[in-house]
Amino acid sequence: MNNIALGRYIPMNSVIHKLDPRYKIIAMFILLVAVFLPTGFQGYGILAVFVLGTLLLAKLKLNFIIKAMKPMMFMLVFLLVINILVLRTGYVLFSYGGFTIYSDAIFQTLYITVRLALMIMITTVLTATTKPLDLTLGIEDLLSPFKRFHVPAHEIAMMISIALRFIPTLIEETDRIMKAQASRGVDLKEGKFKEKIMAILSLIVPLFVSSFQRAEDLADAMEARGYVPSQSRTRYKQLKRTWKDTVMILITLSVLGLMFFLAFR
Amino acid sequence: MPIAFEKVSYEYSVGTPFAHGALNEVDLAIEMGKVTAIIGSTGSGKTTLVQHLNALLLPTSGTVLVLDRTITSKNKPKSLKSLRKNVGLVFQFPEYQLFEETIIKDVMFGPLNFGCTQEEAYTKSCNALKVCGIDESLFEKSPLDLSGGQKRRVAIAGILAIDPQVLVLDEPTAGLDPQGSKQMMQLFMQLNRQYDKTVLIVTHDMEHVLNYCDNVVVMNEGKVLTHQRVSDFFNELTLLQNMNINPPHVLYLREELKKCGFHLGDGLHDLASLAKAIAAEVNSHE
Repeated sequence: MNNIALGRYIPMNSVIHKLDPRYKIIAMFILLVAVFLPTGFQGYGILAVFVLGTLLLAKLKLNFIIKAMKPMMFMLVFLLVINILVLRTGYVLFSYGGFTIYSDAIFQTLYITVRLALMIMITTVLTATTKPLDLTLGIEDLLSPFKRFHVPAHEIAMMISIALRFIPTLIEETDRIMKAQASRGVDLKEGKFKEKIMAILSLIVPLFVSSFQRAEDLADAMEARGYVPSQSRTRYKQLKRTWKDTVMILITLSVLGLMFFLAFR
Repeated sequence: MPIAFEKVSYEYSVGTPFAHGALNEVDLAIEMGKVTAIIGSTGSGKTTLVQHLNALLLPTSGTVLVLDRTITSKNKPKSLKSLRKNVGLVFQFPEYQLFEETIIKDVMFGPLNFGCTQEEAYTKSCNALKVCGIDESLFEKSPLDLSGGQKRRVAIAGILAIDPQVLVLDEPTAGLDPQGSKQMMQLFMQLNRQYDKTVLIVTHDMEHVLNYCDNVVVMNEGKVLTHQRVSDFFNELTLLQNMNINPPHVLYLREELKKCGFHLGDGLHDLASLAKAIAAEVNSHE
């Protein structure tokens, strides 16, 4: 339960870790746009090299990224099956009886796989190198220009930071309840269907109860300390842009430019 | 010896940047049919230790012998159900594990999981609830409507209904009022004396250790510091003071009196005998 890799901060001392979260978020969006440009495998190859280079710079292990990608495996298999059954374009790769696999089915799936893998890598670089709190500070700052359109920037940032704050707590809680129910003979892996349903219920109900309890407690604690969302407040941590941030943005922009060139030449 | 740890080490999150050891080559033998307290500061590995007893955690290295089972890092979870029937583990704040619509159903959940029939589970659960002091009129209520102390009792009844031979409790009295925690401890005593259950209690309360337990295991930084009879353990308070644990009041009084020049012997662990010794000391001077 403690091995969830997706979206986890990895404390390291690297150039990427020290960058300003605001610019890291912007760079992430730029790169995500680049991923969505139809550049073909050539462009994706260049992007992949670029992203892997960033991973290296951030001192992240490839192992960690692969772990983060595991949850999407199931989805991809599902996608492959659907594509094979539905897509009827391209040339025939394989045919047996009435069943044929067309080349486009495979290529489409590969395309999506590469895109998803790149997206997960890019977002993982962001979340693994930025403390959740810094991330929300960045989000708040980036949203603040939209305040005049009544976008509640601070509230959104607060909600995100609370949600992020409670992920480890909830994981711990789940682990604890799972163990407690295992002591009462619950076996999540074995047993009949009805028993499995009961096992899941025995996990979910207590989890919900304690989450609501926690939420209520937190709300009380915030109110007790006079929290008013609309109040303007100063910050302990000031975000500062350095020349490194500028360089990063310039590099990502040139990557985006290159992808545009490859896509629409 | 039916419960024994042999060079047991446990590490959390092995193979990730978050790896950290919680147990470090623990050797320990627990006496059957006794009440053993496990004490130690937070993070000393108490909870990790007790979770090995019914194989919720498998040792990273070393072996745990529980009853007639040997638990090593290679055990398959599949074969562990019968072990869990015989070693009941009550977690810290067990009231958070209640989930059924009614109290009786929640308590029956355990026995049913371990293969009891409905009737068997019902009788066992009724007995367990009564032993824990839950009135029959509450049986059909939702467990979520109870007070904190009552929830705790229901949760403990949920383990007792499984009728384990060894009962392991992780801070069963944390957060209860003094009256409630006294009743709780007396309940465990009764289970030990009447039904001959082996009881292990993780606790921070030295009064409970002194008044209710036979043996005491002191954990520190993933190791067993000492394992003694309670009667011997409290003769010397330096260890407790070194660990920043407050000794029971009676013993604190005894030590302070000794410092002031009273000649009191060993083995004075309760108020009555301490009073007698003080009286004898005073009389001898008159």
